[in-house]
Amino acid sequence: MAIEISRLRRQFDGFIALDDVSLTIGDGEFVAVLGPSGSGKTSLLRILAGLDQPDAGSVLRDGQDLLALDARRRGVGLVFQHYALFPHMTVAQNVAFGLRVRPWRLRPKTSAIKASVENLLRKVELEGFAHRYPAQLSGGQRQRVALARALAIEPRLLLLDEPFGALDAQVRVNLRGWLREFHRSFGITSLFVTHDQDEALEMADRVVLMNRGRIEQIGTPEQIYRQPATPFASRFIARGQSLPGEVKGQQLHLFGHVWRIENFAGNDAHEVTVHVRPEDIVLTSLPGDGLKAKLLNLRHVAGTVRASLLVESMDEPIEAEWSERDWARHHGPADDVIGVHFQALSVFASDREGRVLARATLHPPHASFPVAVGPWRRVEA
Amino acid sequence: MGGGALMAAVAAVVSMGRPTWSMRVARVVLVLAALAVLGWLLVLPLLAIFAEAFRQGVAFYLDAIRQPDTLAAVRLTLTVAAIAVPLNMVFGLAAAWSMTHFEFRGKSLLAALIDLPFSISPVVAGMMLILVYGKDGWLGSWLEAHNVQVIFALPGLVLATVLVTLPFVARELIPLMQAQGSEQEEAALTLGAGGWQIFFRVTLPRVRWALLYGVLLCNARAMGEFGAVYVVSGHLRGITNTLPLQVDQLYQENFSAAFAVASLLALLTVLTLGIKRFVEWRHGGELNANT
Repeated sequence: MAIEISRLRRQFDGFIALDDVSLTIGDGEFVAVLGPSGSGKTSLLRILAGLDQPDAGSVLRDGQDLLALDARRRGVGLVFQHYALFPHMTVAQNVAFGLRVRPWRLRPKTSAIKASVENLLRKVELEGFAHRYPAQLSGGQRQRVALARALAIEPRLLLLDEPFGALDAQVRVNLRGWLREFHRSFGITSLFVTHDQDEALEMADRVVLMNRGRIEQIGTPEQIYRQPATPFASRFIARGQSLPGEVKGQQLHLFGHVWRIENFAGNDAHEVTVHVRPEDIVLTSLPGDGLKAKLLNLRHVAGTVRASLLVESMDEPIEAEWSERDWARHHGPADDVIGVHFQALSVFASDREGRVLARATLHPPHASFPVAVGPWRRVEA
Repeated sequence: MGGGALMAAVAAVVSMGRPTWSMRVARVVLVLAALAVLGWLLVLPLLAIFAEAFRQGVAFYLDAIRQPDTLAAVRLTLTVAAIAVPLNMVFGLAAAWSMTHFEFRGKSLLAALIDLPFSISPVVAGMMLILVYGKDGWLGSWLEAHNVQVIFALPGLVLATVLVTLPFVARELIPLMQAQGSEQEEAALTLGAGGWQIFFRVTLPRVRWALLYGVLLCNARAMGEFGAVYVVSGHLRGITNTLPLQVDQLYQENFSAAFAVASLLALLTVLTLGIKRFVEWRHGGELNANT
């Protein structure tokens, strides 16, 4: 069931929720729509479910116009963030609801409904809970009831709104893996909305990154991490942090250093953004080498060391992240000034409207750093 | 003393530690004060009605109630309530549904209008009806031409009662339905349910106790309404006298008979409130769980 979303627009008085959104979802794909609150992701979900209509654009499912069908006849399963279970019905009645409300000609026999409810409850691992009320269930159990209820109508597209938003952290992490496996075994085309980067990157085949009603980037988690398309994608997914760099001709000027960047057509750009990821700020092996960084604070978090650094002339601290091993090896005398080096920098040139004209990834060379000689050998300089 | 007790009571609410002696005293004083006021203002007069009603013996009491005019008044009161309360139930549900699930211009105006009958005097409400439906009213001549009697007849009594009790059901439902939001209705829609299915299977079960509560209050008021009904009734004994009007007329002629009929009216209202308490006690957990 390929879903083709093209050029969707949705505007609420004065606020553009969706701005020219196009997206294709493949058959059986598990897609995450990721973005901060107000980025338009829930609007997209509601339009797909038929609970809202776009101002412009189209949604096709196998060539059939989905927007022409009302929510009732669309065959789209929706799992609400707060589950929206019917509190006056038991778990079994909740799951059976979608089958019971069918017109009598299409309604399965009572025994058939009972069988499919049992089957679904087994699949979501809630067999013994058929006669409980939602108020008697834990958050994770309610969520699985909501999932079973949505699946009972055999939807051709499953939508999940912040599936783990209302759960505590521990349950959330457990359910992630469970849902991922569940999707694999069902193979139903699914789209879920989340504001949590970890959740999207860990679960989805593909991530659709949204910001202010626009799609910033579509790609696999790895693609977006390695090659963020926009400064927003870099900041939101790869934790990119701004550095005060300038591009003149084919050269990047940063903290008094000049590095050459190849194939960067950013001369007529309105703005140039230089980003560095926390894990690309590495400690120099020789003291006094590299850029001077003042250590503001240091946190040891289960195997990684996170630090706030004031690099050279910067006023705002940036975050760096090292492994506990690297920190132990490089940590010199009890001095709060250390030497760091940027292993990789992302450079974006954008125009007045924020559209990216050119982007490049730069690996600044450094004397005390392992230099690659040939593609297979690494020699300590 | 009052200020001290109040401070101690406030402290009793705010403090999480062990209650001190003064806090305990404050609690006892406040509870007793509330009970005393209620007893003095409400329970005592209510008991007085029944005491007065039975002063001349049970035989006199039964006789007073069995008067044909009184029985006619009981019948009329029940008829008016039986028409007005369902009308208000439908109106309350419709108003609450549209206030909760639709966005439209004039929504806040509608909310204010629903409350209006609470704030205008029932007598004024009755006069408004006379002005519109009365003999010299705006619709008076048209109604007369079509031989429809509104004022001084059952339709007028029903209109007056509906008008005065309009807010009861809606006021009970709107806050609850707004707190519940539209999510469950939307969920039902995506599961393939139609409008009536959503209403009867999802919305109504969730508000049923609040609805019953509103209906009972509405009913108590509908049966007891005096002011508006007084204006439009015409006081035709045995024809357009409702129970409260009958009490009023008897009061001016036969003191004890008036109290006998008044106790009947009070009994109907107390019965209504009793049902309400029973519903709360029986389904209190559900009331909470559904909100």
